[in-house]
Amino acid sequence: MQKENNLIISICAVLMLLPIWWIAYRNTNFIADPFVVATALPHFLSQADTWSNIGITLYRVVLGLAGGVVLGTLAALAMNQNKLAEQVLSIYVTTALRTPSAIAAIMALAIFRGAEIGYIVVVMFITFPFMAVGLRDGLKSADKDLAEASQIYRLGSLRYIRHVLLPFIAPFIFSALRNAHALAWKVIVVAEIFGAARIGFGAQFDHAWEYMQMVEVHLWLLVFIAIVLFVEYGVLRVAERRVFRWRG
Amino acid sequence: MTGTSDTVLKVEGLQVSYGSIPAISSLDFEIKRGEFVAILGPSGCGKSSMLNVISGLLPPTRGVVEVDSRPLYDAGRHAPKLGYVFQAHRLLPWRTVKQNLELVLAASDVPRDQWEDNIDRLLDILHIGQFKNSWPMQLSGGQRQRVSIARALLVEPSYILMDEPLSTLDEVTARSLRQELSGIWARTGATIVFVTHSIREAVYLADRIIILTRGPSTVFENYHVPIARPRAYDDPRIAEVEADIIRRVEHAWGLDPIKQSEVA
Ligand SMILES: Nc1ncnc2c1ncn2[C@@H]1O[C@H](COP(=O)(O)OP(=O)(O)OP(=O)(O)O)[C@@H](O)[C@H]1O
Ligand SMILES: [Mg+2]
Repeated sequence: MQKENNLIISICAVLMLLPIWWIAYRNTNFIADPFVVATALPHFLSQADTWSNIGITLYRVVLGLAGGVVLGTLAALAMNQNKLAEQVLSIYVTTALRTPSAIAAIMALAIFRGAEIGYIVVVMFITFPFMAVGLRDGLKSADKDLAEASQIYRLGSLRYIRHVLLPFIAPFIFSALRNAHALAWKVIVVAEIFGAARIGFGAQFDHAWEYMQMVEVHLWLLVFIAIVLFVEYGVLRVAERRVFRWRG
Repeated sequence: MTGTSDTVLKVEGLQVSYGSIPAISSLDFEIKRGEFVAILGPSGCGKSSMLNVISGLLPPTRGVVEVDSRPLYDAGRHAPKLGYVFQAHRLLPWRTVKQNLELVLAASDVPRDQWEDNIDRLLDILHIGQFKNSWPMQLSGGQRQRVSIARALLVEPSYILMDEPLSTLDEVTARSLRQELSGIWARTGATIVFVTHSIREAVYLADRIIILTRGPSTVFENYHVPIARPRAYDDPRIAEVEADIIRRVEHAWGLDPIKQSEVA
């Protein structure tokens, strides 16, 4: 019941954007007619080209995010273990955290001369500090009482990490992951546009914009929103609900 | 129970300091296998510190702690099997009752094919069989503490430490758990070291009460409870012994410095 209600509310929230879109279309120059866009959508979605562009961007996001998670986790572990590492890494993490995505994108693409790895590195660079900070805070707050109980019952490090520590810091992991995921999509588009990528979501968006193909621009935008919402609600939140089912 | 020695725990010249501040000045005592010993002492005298030492969590500043005739803090030693019932239950909220118990069994040497039976038996004894698949969040404070007691018993420990395990429960719940604890101890032959602030609780439960002085503490008295079992909590003899202990400690524990200044 609760689940259905939530679904209805979410759908209403999305539908409410339609009249706003329509009003915007009537009163501005660059917003396309929602009905025209809707009519063009089936054809757009049936083209293999659309999906290959989405695919390449998804690939960059997934690899970059994975790299960011690994790097951020390593940084968090180091910061939690060692005072010196914490001091040194904090500076790097703070710097990375404050670097504008556009600058990171331009730098990485210049360094890697527009090679595929450049896109992945940008995403990695932008997302890793979020993972690092989130995880470090989680580790710092790790429950001392539960650690003691684990020691009494001789759980050993592996069982402790797997069954005590990880579930404890899971909320921190999820919130860091959500932030990192949202940022990954934002930065990849910036990188694809600035990097003058030939394929990928940003490239297509940029191309359509340059040639004033406003319907195309809107189609890409719609697909983008759909994917981001799907990953957020269809993947991350579902996983989160499963992991936290003990909260009732 | 191997029965090679009936001394499970031996503590000699135990001293605990935090930095330069002493919490325990010098403790000597022994616990025999199957004994129910209560520890009584004024707040801050070092009872929890002592439990942490004899549970292997806190290396003593000085002194000897031997479990089953071997030094507890021996680098080469495999940690002995112990149970600990904390003031708060310290169950893992993300594991059901059964999963919490299975986790400590997984770390013990109890063969897997006995887990289910052992868990069921203990949950039955503690009257929480119906909560086997519940999350800790769904239980009351008393029920959680029962699970915590089950967990301690489950690993077949050399001894079980309890640090004011009933102090957060309402009196009615505490009463029924006290009674059950007494019954379980009689049935299982477990060795229990039980810290409490309630003198009556100590008298009702224990064979012997180790009374400590004010902190930094030493042993003030080893008090053998002269009441046969089974005991009733409202037995007038328990009240008599309680009054006797209060008479003895009144002087040793003195008034709280704060209370004294209030009097002045
Ligand atoms: N981790 C710690 N660091 C510094 N001092 C501590 C620490 N733990 C306890 N102490 C001090 O050691 C003394 C003994 O504390 P402890 O908790 O062992 O007393 P207790 O007898 O269990 O008290 P209570 O009856 O109130 O639970 C106290 O003065 C306390 O402030
Ligand atoms: Mg205490």
